[in-house]
Amino acid sequence: MPVFKTPFNGYSVKFSPFYESRLAVATAQNFGILGNGRVHVLDLSPAAPALTELVAFDTADGVYDLAWSESHDSLLIAAVADGSVKIYDTALPPTANPIRSLHEHTREVHSADYNPTRRDSFITSSWDDTVKLWTVDRPTSVRTFKEHAYCVYNATWNPRHSDVFCSASGDCTLRIWDVREMGSTMIIPAHEFEILACDWNKYDDCLIASASVDKSIKIWDVRNYRVPIAVLNGHGYAVRKVKFSPHRRNLLASCSYDMTVCLWDFMVEDALVGRYDHHTEFAVGVDMSVLVEGLLASTGWDELVYVWQQGMDPRAV
Amino acid sequence: MATQSPPSPSSTAGNPPTLAAETSQQATGVQQDGPPEAAEQPISSPSVFVNSEPMREEQVQNAVKFLSHPKVRGSPVIYRRSFLEKKGLTKEEIDEAFRRVPDPPPSAQATSANQDGQVKSSSSNIQSQAPTQALQPQPAGAAPTAVSPASTMMMSRFHWYHAVLAVGLLAASGAGTAVFIKKSLIPRLKSWIRKVVLEEEDDSENKSIAKPSLAEEAAAAAKAAAAAASDVAKASQELLNSKNEERRYFSELMNLLDVQLQEMKSMSNSIRKLEGPSNNSGRTSLVNQEDHRDSVTGVKQPYANGKADFDMQSVRSSSPPAPGEPSVAPHPKSYMEASTFVVPLFLRNSYSCNWKFICIMAMVQRGEKPPNIRDINDLPPNPNQQLPNPRLAPKAKPWEVGQAQIASGQVIQSQVSAEGLNFKVQDNGLNHQSDDDSSVPWWQRKNVKITEVGEDEIKAGPYGVRTNEPPVQRTWVPPQPPPVVMPEAAEAIRRPKPSGPTEQSTSHQLASQASEVADELQRITKISEVGGIEEIKGNGSVQNSSEIQEEQETHA
Repeated sequence: MPVFKTPFNGYSVKFSPFYESRLAVATAQNFGILGNGRVHVLDLSPAAPALTELVAFDTADGVYDLAWSESHDSLLIAAVADGSVKIYDTALPPTANPIRSLHEHTREVHSADYNPTRRDSFITSSWDDTVKLWTVDRPTSVRTFKEHAYCVYNATWNPRHSDVFCSASGDCTLRIWDVREMGSTMIIPAHEFEILACDWNKYDDCLIASASVDKSIKIWDVRNYRVPIAVLNGHGYAVRKVKFSPHRRNLLASCSYDMTVCLWDFMVEDALVGRYDHHTEFAVGVDMSVLVEGLLASTGWDELVYVWQQGMDPRAV
Repeated sequence: MATQSPPSPSSTAGNPPTLAAETSQQATGVQQDGPPEAAEQPISSPSVFVNSEPMREEQVQNAVKFLSHPKVRGSPVIYRRSFLEKKGLTKEEIDEAFRRVPDPPPSAQATSANQDGQVKSSSSNIQSQAPTQALQPQPAGAAPTAVSPASTMMMSRFHWYHAVLAVGLLAASGAGTAVFIKKSLIPRLKSWIRKVVLEEEDDSENKSIAKPSLAEEAAAAAKAAAAAASDVAKASQELLNSKNEERRYFSELMNLLDVQLQEMKSMSNSIRKLEGPSNNSGRTSLVNQEDHRDSVTGVKQPYANGKADFDMQSVRSSSPPAPGEPSVAPHPKSYMEASTFVVPLFLRNSYSCNWKFICIMAMVQRGEKPPNIRDINDLPPNPNQQLPNPRLAPKAKPWEVGQAQIASGQVIQSQVSAEGLNFKVQDNGLNHQSDDDSSVPWWQRKNVKITEVGEDEIKAGPYGVRTNEPPVQRTWVPPQPPPVVMPEAAEAIRRPKPSGPTEQSTSHQLASQASEVADELQRITKISEVGGIEEIKGNGSVQNSSEIQEEQETHA
């Protein structure tokens, strides 16, 4: 299984929705506390298991998250720690990049997500308690959603309803928003502690997974949001990211500060179905490929990016 | 620290209008973009993402009690809202609770009444524009407006007053210590200098043989001065330390006294109960007191040493010391007022055992910049750079096959134009696409291993698709025709075709056609309803499209 060593600490990894073999990695120097950042675009070579770098873009501040455009195969959105959102054209050389730098957030931008149904807009969430809606062709944000009382760590689009998205915040609540509405349409007090990530189920548009500092992942049904339908325990430390599988209804992947990437089946009593402990530092980014079933990628503060097939050992040669 | 508390009393009056003012323009902008794409909106209504529960009166009353608490009154509105949200109240319940409770803090309670009066008077002002009555409401309106800013001024003056007091106290204490030092230092210095001078004189008298040159004397004086300076420094430090120690003593004493008070009380209680030998217990209590005092002195030493370590760990002190232990998000974000390099609170919670991480955190807390940071200009070299043309059409997601949610009309065929591809990135991607046909890449070899046991029960979309195309290959799938949102409209569109060239359009036949259409309509709507009820709409719409195609064929 291929490994790629990044010069900085990894923060996020995302597969391209257009090319099976392509992925992008967001990294930040000095663990993202203070320093430069870099975006790597990597390619999986088909013959031998190897990851090669196609292009890399340097940023003045750390990059916390990435989102591939769903409309343009070469566009990449980067969420940067200095509050700016940068758009890169991976077909152009680094000297011609970035093609846009949108600076409206007043604090670090922690996540970016591209609309998979409308394919024309994306949302970014920031530590300034807001979520902003953008389109690639506009120089300013379309809307700002300001209701959370603390940093918004993650915001993700609903995979079926093109106007609905969910945000996870350090104020311990999940909020569901509709861009056509003025404010949030639902508030779920999901955990007693900060919620670091959220993701929608791709096959049941009413299910949300939330990952929290309390080491648990909870699955919520918005139709009955008072009680979670599943609580997934098993991580030893805060869960940093959670992703539902694009191919299987019940499968989700998560990565945590306990340095492991775990696979869960939330409909089963013993939910933990896979555990990968290949990282030697906080595992901070995980992604499941939309184009290739079972293909997983993860990155962490140990400056390594792994891509492996579910069921295989990521460290196998 | 900036808070979101609006000046007006009730949040319903305050927040929504400001939000509306902010976002109304943007909302209209979005809505203008909306209608062209409304045709591709999902079938099911998004109402499932809204709270449809009625307001719970009990929760609202609890919230009212919470909001009426004097301590809560003093906190910013956004934290009150956040607390209630965490307790599981819906927006409507929270707004209702805010409506029921007079919102402003107790010190300016009068302003709520005044502002209500102001609202009434201003509304009456607008209504009664007659000059005879205009005079009366205007002063009434003016007075509350004058009172309300005055009250806010009072509130701010309240804070200033406090600040002034604090500064004054500090200055006084500083002056006092300065005076004290002068009083104690100067006599010390003088006495010391006298000593030195006397010694020198003695030396010079005694050592008549020795020739005390000027240089030697100067050197000696310099040494003495240096020694004096160090003594002064030591003395001042000792004074300060003693002050600190005295303070600590005092606080420890206070604690001790409290502890002993409680002990004495319990002792007296037990004495009364026992009615036994009281003298012994009294002596033991005295002995205990002495033990406590000794323990205080013993405790003092490690406390002083521990302080140095505490500063190092202050980075993580606001959050739990153990990695990943749950931590409540502290309010307010005090780190924002800290050093110029703001260490994000989220990262403070991410405590890593990595020594490098700890070093960098400490460095940043001290305000130093880690050495390996470069100055990078990451601004766009050409801010008006044209967006590239999409080279590939968007692929349908595995969970939406059959629904064809491709919104944009840019269904561009994969035109490989040579001029745009001088960068090898594109070549690699496209080559891989073609390679898939010939050799199976290593990352797809294991696909066969994943079995679909038990998946039949779960109505998952892609497994229907799998049968159509080979499981391994993922070539570009032509988009499915858009789902039929309004079957009646679809039928209405299709109706003219068969009634044109193929059949004569007599009224009788039209009627029969209409009835046929109505029957088909019922069937189609039934199918779409059934399809909609199922969780996975992919199957339903696949059936829909196939059914409709069948209908088309039968109809035509």
